[in-house]
Amino acid sequence: MFLKKIFDYGKKEEQVIENIKKHLELLCNACDLFHSAMEENDKNLVGEVVDSERKGDSIRREIIANIYAGAFLPYLRPDLCRFAEIVDRVFDFLQETALNYLEVKLPEHIRDECVRVAFLNARMCEILLISFEAMLNGEDLREKALAIRIYEKRIDDMEFSIIRDLRQIPVDDFWQGRLLADFVSGITSISDAMEDAGDHLQIINVSMKS
Amino acid sequence: MKIDEFMTTRIASIDADLSAYDAIEKMVDRRIRSLLVKFKGTDSDHGVITARDIVFKVLAKGIDPTDIKVSSIAAKPIVCVNRDVTLAEASALMEKSHIARVFVCEGEKIVGVVSLLDIMTASLIMRARGEHVS
Repeated sequence: MFLKKIFDYGKKEEQVIENIKKHLELLCNACDLFHSAMEENDKNLVGEVVDSERKGDSIRREIIANIYAGAFLPYLRPDLCRFAEIVDRVFDFLQETALNYLEVKLPEHIRDECVRVAFLNARMCEILLISFEAMLNGEDLREKALAIRIYEKRIDDMEFSIIRDLRQIPVDDFWQGRLLADFVSGITSISDAMEDAGDHLQIINVSMKS
Repeated sequence: MKIDEFMTTRIASIDADLSAYDAIEKMVDRRIRSLLVKFKGTDSDHGVITARDIVFKVLAKGIDPTDIKVSSIAAKPIVCVNRDVTLAEASALMEKSHIARVFVCEGEKIVGVVSLLDIMTASLIMRARGEHVS
């Protein structure tokens, strides 16, 4: 592994790397679950998304604890911690959106678009995991970063058109409107945070090589 | 990779009875290059109008776009593919038919559209995933 070549790759480092990978795999699984929950309209799956967020929290704590316990060279530590925190932010958006999904009443045409956004979020997460594995192998992340940006742009475009349609929907009261707006904003923010994670991975990759 | 991952599901459309000017307005406003033209009947009766049609068949000929109906310059019928067609199959069809977009249909219903740009975008994603790009 690339990291092994550069650093004194000890047990703590190995644990951090394993946990970051586990964190990302869990995120991808949670994104898939949320997509299935929406596609099959199976609200029971939302509970599993919430469980994943909880597990993600404990993995993030373990990553940070290991880094503070001395894993990796000091100049890399803040960036690795930041990366774990950004991934955690994605979990938070996902959980919030999944919980809003339990309450929100989505008009059919908006629902279809949101299912698509959930699907693209899951695909984007796969690329994030591929990027991380590529970084461990010392590969160039240029193509992966571009793929992440493409997904993000696509979801951004969809967000604009969803919001345009959303404005035409009559709402009975303030809270119904707010829930609808929060749900759309949440489901489209997941990709924003994932793009941040991808960008940060690039930073880590560059600083490891310099 | 199947094309339904990269199709656009929000398809901007225009009524066949409206003018080319209305089509220009819609395309410029939404920054898009084509519109689905809705004729009376089912989805398979619809047509498509592109920026190319408007420029070559209307503007370049000095025709006032408010004087010409979309129906008279739209291409018909639309070219449809199944949603589980691969990108390579869709691009081969585009090349063969000399078109820049294909519609994705489920039975008689149009569910999306895939353009040349979508195919290029998808090819980048496939490279990032380490999948074969033909």
